[in-house]
Amino acid sequence: MSTAMNFGTKSFQPRPPDKGSFPLDHFGECKAFKEKFLKCLRDNNFENTLCRNESKEYLECRMERYLQIPSMFLNSSAYCLSAFIKLDK
Amino acid sequence: MAVLGRPPWRRLGACWGWWGGRAAALQQRQPPWRLKSTNPFTREQEQEWRRRNRTVLMYVAAAAVGMIGASYAAVPLYRLYCQTTGLGGSTVAGHASDQIETMVPVKDRIIKVTFNADVHASLHWNFRPQQTEIYVVPGETALAFYKAKNPTDKPVIGISTYNVVPFAAGQYFNKIQCFCFEEQRLNPQEEVDMPIFFFIDPEFAEDPKMAKVDVITLSYTFFEAKGGHKLPVPGYN
Repeated sequence: MSTAMNFGTKSFQPRPPDKGSFPLDHFGECKAFKEKFLKCLRDNNFENTLCRNESKEYLECRMERYLQIPSMFLNSSAYCLSAFIKLDK
Repeated sequence: MAVLGRPPWRRLGACWGWWGGRAAALQQRQPPWRLKSTNPFTREQEQEWRRRNRTVLMYVAAAAVGMIGASYAAVPLYRLYCQTTGLGGSTVAGHASDQIETMVPVKDRIIKVTFNADVHASLHWNFRPQQTEIYVVPGETALAFYKAKNPTDKPVIGISTYNVVPFAAGQYFNKIQCFCFEEQRLNPQEEVDMPIFFFIDPEFAEDPKMAKVDVITLSYTFFEAKGGHKLPVPGYN
């Protein structure tokens, strides 16, 4: 699907997301958690490893508000969000 | 000028006296389609050989044409084969959620993921990433945000697709959830955060072709969707 007309080179094939599309947060219910996460990123020079707590909180907020379909975690044996965001040991 | 009346392979004898005669004798060959042998017994054999040569030539020509045809047919056939067996291309084994649980982050390989946002000219949304870059390691899930605002006074439906540069790194870029390939509707003056939850496959660190890749750029583009028109999810088509 890439627009570069390169014959023979591997072109990029976009893949749909594994767990589907995020339902949009139209009412901004989890905005505070998002702001916290972004602030953490900015403070830590955009390092993802240091802000995993905040991202976990954001996704938990979404799950609570049913913005996130918990079925995404149903397949996993742990049945919980922490399987996806492994907090640093 | 009687020499001009002779067939061309006999004309040389007209010049240079004795030498011309020798040259003419050398040149004095039969026209190509006449059989070489004058003996009636060997003549039949020669005809047989000629017939066999012609059949061999026919077979060889058919094989050559068959090869050319097969090379054209190979492209859709290979694609069909890949679809049934799932080798190569878009479907890579091991994208199950248990892989996400068990994968181990490769801590010594830090990759900078930069974000880019585009809109199609006909879509009047303000679409931009909320962070310019993020440093991740392969095997670790990461969250990133984009923001979109509909400044018009009509509800607009948009649909987006993405691109990863360098292309070869795109196969390691796995999105767990995002907002792409589905219609997203924004009401007038509505502003919404669009998250992406992704990770980079730990096998990225083991690929020798990716040894020099330190920056991956993720680029999203929004298009306007006519209502009810479902964008075909890109696959191996």
